[in-house]
Amino acid sequence: MKKSSIYLIIAAVVVLLGFYGCNTYNGLVSQDENVSRAWADVEAQYQRRADLIPNLVNTVKGYAAHESETLQAVVEARTKATQVTVDPTNLTPEKLAEYQAAQGEVSQALGRLLAITENYPDLKANQQFSELQAQLEGTENRIAESRRLFNEAAQKYNVSVRSFPANLFANMFGFSVKGNFKADAGSEKAPTVEF
Amino acid sequence: MKKLRIILLLCAAHICAVASLFAATYTPDNLPIPYLQDKTQYVSNPDGILSLETVDSLNLWLGQMEASHGVQTVLAVVERIKGGEAYDFCMELGRKYGIGRKDQNSGLIILLSTGDRTYYILTGRGLEGTLPDAICKRIENNQMLPSLREGDWDEAMLNTVRAITKYVDGDDSLVGSSDFDDEDDTGALIAFLICMLLGLGLIGFGVWYDNYKKSYCPSCKQHKMKKVSGYTSTNRRLGIRTHHDTYKCSNCFFVKEIHWDEDLHSGSGGAAAGGALGGSFFGRGGGGFGGSFGGSFGGGSFGGGGAGGHF
Repeated sequence: MKKSSIYLIIAAVVVLLGFYGCNTYNGLVSQDENVSRAWADVEAQYQRRADLIPNLVNTVKGYAAHESETLQAVVEARTKATQVTVDPTNLTPEKLAEYQAAQGEVSQALGRLLAITENYPDLKANQQFSELQAQLEGTENRIAESRRLFNEAAQKYNVSVRSFPANLFANMFGFSVKGNFKADAGSEKAPTVEF
Repeated sequence: MKKLRIILLLCAAHICAVASLFAATYTPDNLPIPYLQDKTQYVSNPDGILSLETVDSLNLWLGQMEASHGVQTVLAVVERIKGGEAYDFCMELGRKYGIGRKDQNSGLIILLSTGDRTYYILTGRGLEGTLPDAICKRIENNQMLPSLREGDWDEAMLNTVRAITKYVDGDDSLVGSSDFDDEDDTGALIAFLICMLLGLGLIGFGVWYDNYKKSYCPSCKQHKMKKVSGYTSTNRRLGIRTHHDTYKCSNCFFVKEIHWDEDLHSGSGGAAAGGALGGSFFGRGGGGFGGSFGGSFGGGSFGGGGAGGHF
């Protein structure tokens, strides 16, 4: 009689643990999914910027052909950055830092390009260039916003993964800590476009 | 004594001046949003920079835009914004109130800060296709800037909203809020009808159950009793009318008397009670259409689209 009640208690504990484990697992899966979605948005916004660059470079080239060095730097940084991709299932802090560094180089090259356009009044008066600049500025804003949302999602996920006792299950099922964006060194703000 | 009074007065004047200086610098938190009190008011014009006629026209156009395409707008014209960054101000405003309908994220914020000489058109996520950044920039360059440079704030805002309306009208994928509201109204009407039917059903059941109980024959245990005669006696002092009803069973001819009291103070008879109930129902139905309502924002989100600049 006594033995069987002990078995019963053990069975109940196992069932409860099972329920808790399932619950934790499902919670982690949905948070992981949120992080992946936020990451997809970040990548889409960076891609949007990459798509704008050829058009921008061509427009500037028409007015400032002899600034080829600056133009070349933008194109090269873009090419390099598009080669660095991060798989959403492998968002480790190291991978993310690499991605951020590559994109940061594009930002800096673009900043230099926009700085030299100040010297060309004809270019600044060009309607197409003005609109391109607005698109670029809007894209930088979108990047900043999507990065903010990604960091929020990643932070929420990391807190869940690392807090006890969920961390036991997280380790068991291979949920690892995700990286997040750090403020860009030296260029915390997107290149501002002045008129 | 007189000196002290003058000093006090000067102090008061100074405080007032400082207060008015502060009042003219707006943050997303202290910017008045008239829309929340009255959903026909889209324009926030706390410093009175725009003329009343302009505000009326803008409200009218923006109201039509919300009705036909579900685009929820906040247009703010202020003297100064805190920090002087129009984009940050707009984003925080959008985040705080969730401007725009949630299902199509169709929020729009137009900001002009005359003291900071900056402006911004911020589009909700769902409006980025209708009003791409380049189009926002084009509207600003062609419609807003020429008037802004002349200091004609009214004309700048009127031209801008007119141009935006054109682009929004050209996009059929945006669904108007009038359809949305209709659906809401239908739901409310159905709920109202169900409530009324339930209420009437309850009353009907009450009447039926009362009769059912009275028709019970204690002799043959059947519900065959019918009222054959009755009279009432009234006690005015207590305010009670007593009914003396005689019931006869049509099965076994058993006769029973039922006495029940009616309180004269709380209405008399089921018909009158039903009438009063019906009256209050219709009263409620009719009362809902008067007066002005505060609007509410739908919870739309902003991804950072739009364009702005300085003048």
